[in-house]
This record gives sequence, C-alpha cells and structure tokens, in this order.
Amino acid sequence: MTGISRRGVIAGLGATSLAAPFINRRAFAQSGDAIKIGVVTALSGPQEFIGNFVLSGCQIAVDQINAAGGVLGRQLALEIRDDRANPAEASAAARELIGLGANLQIGTISSSVALAMGPLMTQEGGVVITCGAGTEKLNHENYNEHVFRPGDGPYMRMRAQARLMAERQPEVTSWTGLVPDHEYGRTTWAVYVDGLLQFYPEIAKADPEILDPIIVPYGAGDYRTFVTQAARSQAQGIYNSTYGGDSVTLFQQAKPFQLFKDRVLMDSANEFIVAGALKGDTPGHWTGIHWYHETNKGNPLSDQLYDDYVKKTGNTQPMGWVSEAHAGIYAYAKAIEKSGKSDTDAVIAGLKGLEWDTATGKRLMRAEDNQAIKDVELIYIEPDASGPLGYKVTDYVKVDGNTVIEPPTPGEPMTLRKPS
Amino acid sequence: MTIARVRPAIFFSLLALLVAGALIVPHVANRGVVFLSGVVAINVVFGIAFNLAFAKAGILSFGNAMFFAVGAYCAGYLITQQNHLPFVVILLAAAGCGGLLALVTGLLALRRASGVYFAVITLAVGALVHVLIMKLNFLGRNDGLVGVNRPIIDLGLVELDLARGDAYYYFIIASCALLVTLMWVLWSNRFGRSLQGVKSDPMRASFLGIDIDRKRLIALVLSGSITALAGAIYAPWAQIVTPELAHWSFSTMPLLFTLLGGSAFFLGPAVGAILFGLLDYATRSLIGISDLLVGGLLLAVVLSVPGGVLGLLGSLLARVRAPSSPRREGRA
Repeated sequence: MTGISRRGVIAGLGATSLAAPFINRRAFAQSGDAIKIGVVTALSGPQEFIGNFVLSGCQIAVDQINAAGGVLGRQLALEIRDDRANPAEASAAARELIGLGANLQIGTISSSVALAMGPLMTQEGGVVITCGAGTEKLNHENYNEHVFRPGDGPYMRMRAQARLMAERQPEVTSWTGLVPDHEYGRTTWAVYVDGLLQFYPEIAKADPEILDPIIVPYGAGDYRTFVTQAARSQAQGIYNSTYGGDSVTLFQQAKPFQLFKDRVLMDSANEFIVAGALKGDTPGHWTGIHWYHETNKGNPLSDQLYDDYVKKTGNTQPMGWVSEAHAGIYAYAKAIEKSGKSDTDAVIAGLKGLEWDTATGKRLMRAEDNQAIKDVELIYIEPDASGPLGYKVTDYVKVDGNTVIEPPTPGEPMTLRKPS
Repeated sequence: MTIARVRPAIFFSLLALLVAGALIVPHVANRGVVFLSGVVAINVVFGIAFNLAFAKAGILSFGNAMFFAVGAYCAGYLITQQNHLPFVVILLAAAGCGGLLALVTGLLALRRASGVYFAVITLAVGALVHVLIMKLNFLGRNDGLVGVNRPIIDLGLVELDLARGDAYYYFIIASCALLVTLMWVLWSNRFGRSLQGVKSDPMRASFLGIDIDRKRLIALVLSGSITALAGAIYAPWAQIVTPELAHWSFSTMPLLFTLLGGSAFFLGPAVGAILFGLLDYATRSLIGISDLLVGGLLLAVVLSVPGGVLGLLGSLLARVRAPSSPRREGRA
C-alpha cells in the first residue's frame, strides 16, 4: 500500500529519541562565553501553569539584562529543564545542568523539590533560587546556604494577611479555616492564627476567637460536606488555604450554601487562579499575590515587566510567579556584579545581604537565613459580570515586610503563638 | 535465557557487560547522567524483583511502590535519626520491613484472592501506606525526609566514605549486581522451578506435594524484601525521600519495565529499565511532548511486540536460524 511500515515507524521514533541528547549537547555548546543559568521548574503536570509563568519571568529578565549589555560584559543564557514537580526528576536535571556548567539555577516551585535542592547543591557545588516554594523549613529546620528564597515566605505572607484583617476588619474577630489535609495547609493556618493572635489585640484592641478549622481532603471532587460544616460555623471570617483546582471546586460548591455571603474570605495564595476559572461566580475575597502590576505602577521595572510580558504572551493578567523569577534572575546578575565572578562561592557571597531593585520594589536578601525581606502584596477580587475578565481587582495593598517577618533562626523550627 | 532457567555462562556474561557499561559512565558522562544511571541500576532491581513474583509465581501486584517506599523511608529515618547505626544494619532493617509488609499483605490477601483481585488488594494496601506516610510526623508528612546523607561504611581496618565523589554510585552498581545475582539464583534453582510449577498448573503442583500458598507467600516476601532493599539503596542516592515513592503511579514502573523488556525473560525488566531510562533522558528537553513521546513509544512497543524487546530479539534470532521455513516461503 505505502512504504511506511509499523516497524519503520517504531525504529524511526526510537532513533529520533536516542539521537536527541546529542542534538541538545551540540546546541548547548554554541552558547559561547555566556553565563549559564539553569531553569529547573515544573513545565508539565499539575504545576505546569505556574512553571510557565516562572519560565516567562526568567526569559524576560534575561532579555532585558542582555539588551542592556549583560553582566560584566557577558550575556546570560538559559538552559531549561522540566522537573514535573518531582524531586527525583529535579535532582537529575539539576545535576546534569551543573555538569554542563550551569552552576546557577532557578525555578523551584514545589516545596519537596526545594528541600531536595539543599543537600544536592552542597554536594555538587551549585546554588539555587526558588520561585514560590512555600515550605517554612527552607529558612528554618532545613536551612542550606546554597538555597535562596527571593520571595515572601509563608510566615511573612500569612501574618501580613492577618495584620491586614486586624486593620481593615477589626469587627471580624471570630475565624475558622478551610485547610487542606496537607503539610502546606496546616502550616499556613498555624501561621495565620499566630498573626491573628498578635495583631488583633495590638491593632483592633480585641481578642480573636479561633474556631476549629475545617480540614478538607486534598484533591477531592466533592466538598459539600465540608461546605455545610463551614456554613454552620459561627465564624465571621474564613481563611482558605486550599489551592488551585481544589479551591475552584470548593468555591463553586459553596455558592448555593451562600457560605461567603456575609463572611470575610481571606485566601492564602490563589492569586487569579480561582477568579480566572469562576469569573462572574467568584466570591469577593482577599488573596495573597507575589506581584500585582497595578500596585507597583510607576516602578519602572514593574511597568517594563508588565509590558514585556503582555507583548510576549498576549495575556493581560500575569500572575505573581513571573515577578519571582524575574527578581531571581536580577538577583543573580547583581550578585555576580557585586562579587565580580560567577562561580558558586562568589555568587553565594554576593547574594547574602544583597539589596536589589525588583518589580515589587527593593528587596533585601537576609544574610543569616537566605530569606528575602520584601513587602507582601494583597489584592481584593470581586465579580464583574460585565467586564472582559468576569472579575476585577477593586483594592490592593502592600504590607511592610519588616513588620511581619520572623527573626532569622536558621536550623531552628518556627515558633508560633497558639490559642489558649 | 528462558522463563525456566538462565544458563550461568550467559547470565554472568550479560551481567559483566552491564556492570562494565555502568562503571564506564562516570568517566564519559556528566553528573546528571551518572545520577540517572544509578537510578536505572536501582530500577533494574525494582523491575526484576517484581517479575520474580509476577512471571515465576503468577502474583500480579499493583502495590510494589509500597515496598520500595517502606525501604526508602526506613533507611531515610534511620540515617537521619539514628546515624550511629552501621549502614549494613540499616539495609537489613529496610529489607526486614519490606518483607514484613509483604508477609502481612500476603497473609491478608493471597489465600483469599489471586490474579486481578489480588492486584486490587495490593493497590488498596499501597494507597493505605501512602496515606499513612503523609500523616505521620516522624516521616515528615508531605515534605518527606530531607538530608538523607550518604553513609560511611566501617570495615574495621578501613572506612569507605560513600559521600566522596562517585563512591556511592559504585556502591549502587556493586550492590545491585549482587541483588540481581541473588534473584538469578532464586529464578533458576529448584525453588524457582517449583514456583514455575505453581504458576503453570497449581492443581498438578499441589498433587505433587507443593504447598502452593506457602510458595506464593515466600515469593511475595522475597520480592517485597528485595524491592525494599532497592528503596533503601535509593534513599541516600536521592538524599530525599518523599511520599511520591509510595504513590500507586510509581507501582506501574516495574510493570512497565517488565512489559517493555519481556516478562518471560529474567533480564527482561533490566532491558526495560535501561530502555526507559534512555528514552526519558533523550526526551528530557522536549518540554511538553516528552511524556507523550515516551508514552506513545512504549505503547507502540507493548502493542506491537507483546513479548517485549527481548521477545522480539528472540523471534528475529529464530528467523535468522531458520531462514527458509515453509511459512516464510509461502509469504514470499
């Protein structure tokens, strides 16, 4: 019939696959004298949409820096790998990139991958900048001097949210949580409670009532039992730390129960994920965000990042992970300029104590625990059925990072206030 | 090299070839490839241990990830919390934990179910182990155990620091070669042949005086122990142990290696694990289509070559040896 046989197709596919590494190696060798930065992030799997924001942020920052003459006269070049949010895949990719000369790496989103990076980088002689990894252990129990977090850690973020509530909603003194049965969920709730217990007495002059949180399963399809449980609660405020698709499902299922109708809803970190999915059905809520371009209007780095992102992708609503990666690449550039070299020890020395400009303003990389001090950004989202997106941001604030960050205690667990 | 036995000369030649290939890797490839080669060596043990129970005793388990995870967590916990213990003791403890879990699973399910029903029970037990790991504080819950350092082996007169250079890689290759040899002995000796009898015709095997349930249970315990040992060797290699290791999707890996290489061959899962490692590495930078390409290719191989790659090679060899068979002449 035709000249194409089953065996021929299989042989061709196999040969193509086996030849691919050599093609890549040749392509890499053409990158010349550039400073290589490895991007190891989730570009497939459930965290793929975050990974793509991270990748865009890295590419935009590298293009901007190269267009301005590079770093110490050298261009920056990215080498990109997909870690699928899996520590084993990330380990292999990070080691391979170090073998290829990319000792400076960036892009870790998953907490478990971030925790795996410390011992690996110590052993292999590399350094990594995370882009949204939420675990508090990074700058506490599992602190490692080869791992840096340029963004807000969970301690800062959740306490900033509690502080904002004490300032804006002093009458909302009883709180419960929709907390996923997951390490991240429990940590965020515990820190939020710590913030409520500090800031309500200090700012609102009232003692908060902490009601038992509703622990919801991770990745479930039906949350109605938990929604009714929350609807029966006397709490005036609900803290949500479910994430992504779970939040979308939960918020959708909560609508008939009018769970959020007369309650204040504070969301830990969904940025525009829920609003983008639910559009006009989005309940009014506060959410934490790594960067919101309107909050930072007038900051040239933010305005340029927004313009470049829209030009590159056509998407007018970037999420904050773009800025985390962008700030990370700029941190590398400034650290290399500061130390005059791009080897690992010099870059670590350069990053420690580095103060640098980013799309969210100045940040300081604390030398003691490699945790950046930066302002925490929060936005209020409301439904907007007639608008192009179906929702709109009606309020945005910055909380001074210095007022909510913990003192550096690398190697030690966080200590938190607990309700009596 | 058949389902019944593998001749020593052939086995040791192939093993020597594989070990020689593995020993060359650190001298010609970068750190990432060395890491992946170590993972492939561990996967070889993971795959053959699965196939020992599957092809020899007819036990289809969808829960082998739990044995691997139990071994990895046991080693991870003892290295991070009880680092005074000799590494050999840690490995033995991990093998014991895996064996114990397999024994409990076998006692619970083997007498009551077989085939697909047994597979579903192992899937359920595996899911239970996964949930337990994520809820236990001392196992690090979702974050797992971090800082699983590579150990120092004290041999009395001399100390082997496995954290230095590629020492742990060579340790992996040596220990995996030993485990593969052990499984080859089990595959080819009288015990292996009796397992073969249990799988082929349980009623006849029973009439011959073979305690079928006991043989199956022993096969599962051996498979679980060796898989746990593979997990224990993996923990210091990755230096982190996370709940993903116990997830049901990880249980599909040894099945995939076996189908790809050929379940009827002792080294079938080894060939499958090596090919899978090569494919995974070759497509690593084809972001977005790598999973599609690897999955499609595996599907193509499994569908078009039901006996796996070694099955295909076997039939090709048979054709070369008998080039003028009547069937071929008829086709021509």
